[in-house]
Amino acid sequence: MLTFFTEWWFYGFMRNAFLAVLIITPLFGLLGTMIVNNKMAFFSDALGHSALTGIALGVVFGAVDTTIPMLIFAVLFALLLNYISSRATASRDTIISVFSSASIAIGLAILSKGGNFSKYSSLLVGDILSITPSEIIYLIIIFGATMIFWFVAFNRLNAISLHPTLAKSRRIPVKLLENVFAVFIALIVMLSIKWVGILIINALLILPAASSRNISVNMREYHFFSILFSMFSGFLGLVISYFTNVATGPTIVIVAALIYLFTYLYGRKRIR
Amino acid sequence: MKNKYLFVTILLVAMLLAGMGFTKVYTYYEGTPADQEISIVTSFYPMYIATLNIVGDTEGVKLSNLSEPQTGCLHDYQLTPADMKLLSTADVFVVNGGGIESFLSDVADSYENLDIINACDGLELLDDNAHAWMNISDYSKQVEHICDALCEIDPIHAETYETNAHTYLHKLEHLMEEAQELKESAEGEKIIIFHEAYDYVAKEYGMEVVYSMDLDEERQISAGEVAELVDEINSHNIRIVLAEELYGKSMGDTVEKETDATVYYLDSLTRGDYEADSYLNGMEENIHILKEALNP
Repeated sequence: MLTFFTEWWFYGFMRNAFLAVLIITPLFGLLGTMIVNNKMAFFSDALGHSALTGIALGVVFGAVDTTIPMLIFAVLFALLLNYISSRATASRDTIISVFSSASIAIGLAILSKGGNFSKYSSLLVGDILSITPSEIIYLIIIFGATMIFWFVAFNRLNAISLHPTLAKSRRIPVKLLENVFAVFIALIVMLSIKWVGILIINALLILPAASSRNISVNMREYHFFSILFSMFSGFLGLVISYFTNVATGPTIVIVAALIYLFTYLYGRKRIR
Repeated sequence: MKNKYLFVTILLVAMLLAGMGFTKVYTYYEGTPADQEISIVTSFYPMYIATLNIVGDTEGVKLSNLSEPQTGCLHDYQLTPADMKLLSTADVFVVNGGGIESFLSDVADSYENLDIINACDGLELLDDNAHAWMNISDYSKQVEHICDALCEIDPIHAETYETNAHTYLHKLEHLMEEAQELKESAEGEKIIIFHEAYDYVAKEYGMEVVYSMDLDEERQISAGEVAELVDEINSHNIRIVLAEELYGKSMGDTVEKETDATVYYLDSLTRGDYEADSYLNGMEENIHILKEALNP
């Protein structure tokens, strides 16, 4: 029975995956709380989709490592999206939808040139073997940066989330903080998209926070449960996928979705 | 308040146990590999069948195939964690080579002790196209090559391998004779193919491929390409189009509606049951279809 738990540790790729899960799932849980509060689920989804265009542009410009062009593109995309949706007259979800589908279309158009899209299909469902030590270093950097940002800016972000106008009157730089927050989401999504997969990355951001919201009564609990659920789904999903030969990203999401279901039932029962 | 933490703890522990339990049951039924003397892994279906015919049921040799039966061609194949696990315990990895296994360089880097047999070594491949198993004589050479390499790596069983390979090659020769008979009526026939693997079929019978459209798992076809295809068929008076049922059917229907050409669906022998005679039966069927196509 012991080997059952330790066997996978001997494979380098599993150790990389384990480290990535250890670093990235708390971030998903943390940022997810604010994404859910601010009703930004669709926004983060669009960001995930923009990865396709980022990679496509990287390929066009002949970059060997597509991570950097992908990151740059996602940051620009997030800022542009924020800017336009605060200006335009149409509603926010319409604008996001336009951006999301346009970036998917551009990405598909470039990557499918010459009928070669199959080479990139692993991006859609994720490939756990794509986690390299250099990517883990990126993850550690983003982990540190996010933690600092969260400690410094959380109260102000929360104020904005509750009442933007009031926040502005208290001299909180609303625009700036919103943009920085969007950039953080963009960076985290981009750094984990290769192994989680474009199709489901958003679920990882949303589900733990949404589950936590089902049962929490204050901010502290909200954060605690969100991070707990996120890390739990990450580990259980990784281990199950290893033994059952199923892609890792979807397994993690299934675990997270089950947690959501149970917390939903529990929360509903309590309200009655 | 306390209730909630209790609930979350119970929930997570229950999920953990259930997840582990089901996984345990699953791995139990999948079976764990026993300690064998030598473990051979093949990259995909044609290689598996070829190696299976060489290895047979030799005691102390375990043969397994990497991808699931339905994967087909490997162009877009991603190694799963189970594949990596399989490879990490394998002694020999039999691949087709020629770029079919896009993950090969990763495997070679990760497992330096793994002996990789490249079945296409020493074969004259068509440009950018390594579907050599579709040509019976090339396939025979692949079988020979795999057998030679296996004997070198595992001299203990070399004799069995050679006997088995000999029997198999004899059966393949028989198939080649049949193909040869057909060649007389096929030579010079202009055809169109929907799968680059059939370039090797054309090579076998001396047919001339005037247009090749590679309909693959995720290939999207533009309207312009369809028009171009119809023009090609009409201008060359093509009667025969070779396609693969799974990916070429809808295109095939369009072609038959728009032109006088008939579409014949050949087996690309990349998926099927794991019987030793699958290749022979599949090829036999292909020859039969071609016979019908050439002498209607």
